[in-house]
Amino acid sequence: MEEWENQTEQTPEDGSSDVVIEVRNLTKKFGKKLVLDNISLSIEKGKATVIIGPSGCGKTVLIKHFIALQRPTAGEVYFQGQRIDDLSERDLNGIRTHFGYLFQEGALFDSLSVAENIMFPIRQHYKKVQWSEVEEVIKAKLAMVGLDGFQHYYPSNLSGGQRKRVALARAIALNPEVILYDEPTTGLDPIRSDIINELVLKLERDLNVTSVVVTHDMKSAYKVADRIVMLHNGRIIADGNTDHIRDHPHPQVQQFIHGQVSEDDLAVLRMSGDIATSQFLPRDFEG
Amino acid sequence: MINAGRFGRFAWRAIATSARCCLQRKTYPLVWTQMNIIGVRSVPVIMITGAFVGMTMAVQAYDQLAGMGLEEHLGVLINISVVKELGPVLAAVMLAGRVGGALTAELGTMNVTEQIDAVRSMGTDPIQYLVVPRFLACLFLTPVLIIYADLMGVVGGALVSFLQLGINSRAYWTFSANSVELWDVGIGIAKGFFFGGAIAIISCYKGFSCKEGAHGVGQACTDAFVASFISILAMDFALAVMFKNIYLTFWPLKSILG
Repeated sequence: MEEWENQTEQTPEDGSSDVVIEVRNLTKKFGKKLVLDNISLSIEKGKATVIIGPSGCGKTVLIKHFIALQRPTAGEVYFQGQRIDDLSERDLNGIRTHFGYLFQEGALFDSLSVAENIMFPIRQHYKKVQWSEVEEVIKAKLAMVGLDGFQHYYPSNLSGGQRKRVALARAIALNPEVILYDEPTTGLDPIRSDIINELVLKLERDLNVTSVVVTHDMKSAYKVADRIVMLHNGRIIADGNTDHIRDHPHPQVQQFIHGQVSEDDLAVLRMSGDIATSQFLPRDFEG
Repeated sequence: MINAGRFGRFAWRAIATSARCCLQRKTYPLVWTQMNIIGVRSVPVIMITGAFVGMTMAVQAYDQLAGMGLEEHLGVLINISVVKELGPVLAAVMLAGRVGGALTAELGTMNVTEQIDAVRSMGTDPIQYLVVPRFLACLFLTPVLIIYADLMGVVGGALVSFLQLGINSRAYWTFSANSVELWDVGIGIAKGFFFGGAIAIISCYKGFSCKEGAHGVGQACTDAFVASFISILAMDFALAVMFKNIYLTFWPLKSILG
């Protein structure tokens, strides 16, 4: 047995009553493709758990199971001790109001203004609330993400960073207990990324929420994480606090956190030859 | 087979949720918005379609009837064809292209940009929020649009008959009134409920099951139109058979009732 295999799964919260989300032996296949392979994981209340891993390793699929946007091929998902993966969509509607979900591209409704986007979950779940109260909530949520005054803008008029912040304001509209962030800093410049990181910390501090952040931005991961879980090929290969991950002996973990290309990938690049002398450059087909 | 099962389940959920939500007050603004997009904005194109159908029928049928000295019966042929078959079918086909394509493209784009997942993540049923308003708008406005198509078909046919072909207008209307029954107009309009419902459910299903990317959305729109078109023709045949049998069953009552 390799040295790192003894250190892959550190689950300090197992059995704790502070567990808010728990997945047991979760397996997910799309057709014949195995995306998640027998994953067991517990998310602790009030803590920020960051899930890292290379693109396509199943991070997004995993957090979609937390809110039952995906159903497992095998295994179970629990929210506050209640099994949710076998509930009907109708039964899930109430449970989902405990969550805020920040989608990778924001997923703002492009036919609705910023204010209408944030108003959407409030209007759906609080029928008799007065417009003036809703307006106050929208203003407060937008102020929280630094975008008060953008109420009448449409998503198409916003930059990528602004869209993510509006999406975050919408995700916290119902004061959720858990916020799931799917790649919150992807596609943003370093300053905007840091603003999002600060927002994650602020929400955790101010609203005392449980955060689950999916990312491959290690700077962001180190900044917001109480705990880091690394996925690779659909399995958890590392789980622990930031120091534990930094010093983790698994070569895939070290390669990922330092952003280094593997020897195998380099070998493939070398085998492909000199690109400049390739006979298949587009200019060869001109005229 | 799997797709047929998924479509059946989607259609059942759409119809059942519509039945449950159609009396809820919060559904009305959503239905109203869709009625404007689906119904009001389709009126010009539906009226143009209807008018040209009636006009073309007049030109094409005149020579056949004139050869037998029956040109004054032209109105019967045009008006029965328009209100029973051509008006409803062509209006529905036009709607499948104009409205069905737009519904699939809109919902398909929402699907690939995770907006439908966003609706679900906020504890709202996307069928109730996205499908029900579109289904109800199509269901109730397709028959209304068919009335517009019928009217314009009748007017178009009559204008060409009087102005271009020189048919006596009094005879034209008298023969038409004696031959075209309320039943003929009614079954044409009744078909609209079936066509409208089918267009909405097929288009929404294709949008919801759309594959990733621009190609996926384009393919879903094409599939939605083809499926809607075939459904309209197949349902038209089935409804024609059904209505004919109903008519023949109750026809003896008509003479008793006078």
